[in-house]
Amino acid sequence: MQRIGRYTKNDLMSDLVSDNYRVLLLMSRFGIGLGFGDSTIDEVCRANGVDTPTFIAVTNMLLYDEIPADVYDKISMEALVTYLHNSHDYFLGFRLPAIREKLVETVGMHDDLSRAIMKYFDDYTEGVHTHMAYEEEVVFPYVRALLEGRRSGNYSIGIFSRHHDQVETLLTEFKNILIKYYPSASTNEINNVLFDIFNCENDLASHNAVEDLLFVPAVGRLEKKLEEEG
Amino acid sequence: MSVTVKITVAEPSVIIRSGIIAVIGNAENLKAEIYEVSEIDQLKTVLSWQHPDILLVNPASLGLYPLQQLKKDTGNSEMKCVALQFAFADHAVLKGYDDTISVYDSTETVNDKLAKLVSEPERDRRHESLSGREKEVIACVVQGMTNKQIADKLFISTHTVITHRRNISAKLGIHSPAGLTIYAIVNKLVELDDIKDSVEELSGE
Repeated sequence: MQRIGRYTKNDLMSDLVSDNYRVLLLMSRFGIGLGFGDSTIDEVCRANGVDTPTFIAVTNMLLYDEIPADVYDKISMEALVTYLHNSHDYFLGFRLPAIREKLVETVGMHDDLSRAIMKYFDDYTEGVHTHMAYEEEVVFPYVRALLEGRRSGNYSIGIFSRHHDQVETLLTEFKNILIKYYPSASTNEINNVLFDIFNCENDLASHNAVEDLLFVPAVGRLEKKLEEEG
Repeated sequence: MSVTVKITVAEPSVIIRSGIIAVIGNAENLKAEIYEVSEIDQLKTVLSWQHPDILLVNPASLGLYPLQQLKKDTGNSEMKCVALQFAFADHAVLKGYDDTISVYDSTETVNDKLAKLVSEPERDRRHESLSGREKEVIACVVQGMTNKQIADKLFISTHTVITHRRNISAKLGIHSPAGLTIYAIVNKLVELDDIKDSVEELSGE
């Protein structure tokens, strides 16, 4: 049995999801839909054209912070890059716009305070765009070239990891400002937005963790392998 | 840091105790005055007259004697307690400890942890209220002025402006100009006309 962390490929997908609803977020990013009946994780992954070890590695890392030493030899770099790319799409195309919409409904755009709040959020979103665009335009193409056996220029994944900032910290600040300084009655609407921001903050931190702890070391190994092959 | 920190190391094993003392003694960022306690039975008596800033102890050797009680009994309510760990311990055991040091920690890690414990006052700053000058600086930042412009306007040096800004961030937990704008509007630190242009321009209207 191939074991990468706590969940194995022979466990039922439905058990995994029922035990940990946050796995739903991973599934959509890997492109796995619902309605899989009593299939195992491996069967569901295969049916959806997803690399099973990569799916299991990301799942175990997010749920249990488990990164087995041999994980880097088992995961597929293509699958991981696709996952990270879909993850970016999710935050930029769905999650952040959804929060913005709720924020406009709750805070409004009617006075200077509400405009300043929206301005903060828009600045933040802009920052996330820049952060992720760099990965899309520089890092991923670099990794795809590595996969084809080409090292391009002087770039290395070390450069990326040194400059990789925690994209969720400003969202944390924003949330704290709302909590501490936004004069509002405790309404269901403001709670709703805050819950979304708390969740999004967590998801962004997880996303970053996958990049720092799974993606970067895996690319490092790829670089080393190419070097040795000369 | 030039202040001397009083540290009590309570550990029966002479090998481990000497090792820890050697590691702390070599610290560059920490000047420590170290006491040794080899008999855990005597810990209570010893703490009552030593009054250290930090106590390093293996939670297992304290048994079920709660830290709070130890602090109270020996009149050391402000004392920081660091758990010395030889193996992974249950969270419940570590309750009440300010930090943990593992016997596998590097010299830097150990000393950073100790130095951090005694530099706590920085954290307390958050509860201080802003000075008049700091409020003026916020008003300027929010209007989009550069440090140089703020310095000229308030007749202070750029260096002082930077210090003010750092203190403001520490007190409010807000690091970005956009965040300070929200704070300034809520707390009426600015005339709305002053920032009208910048807010509207910024929100893309």
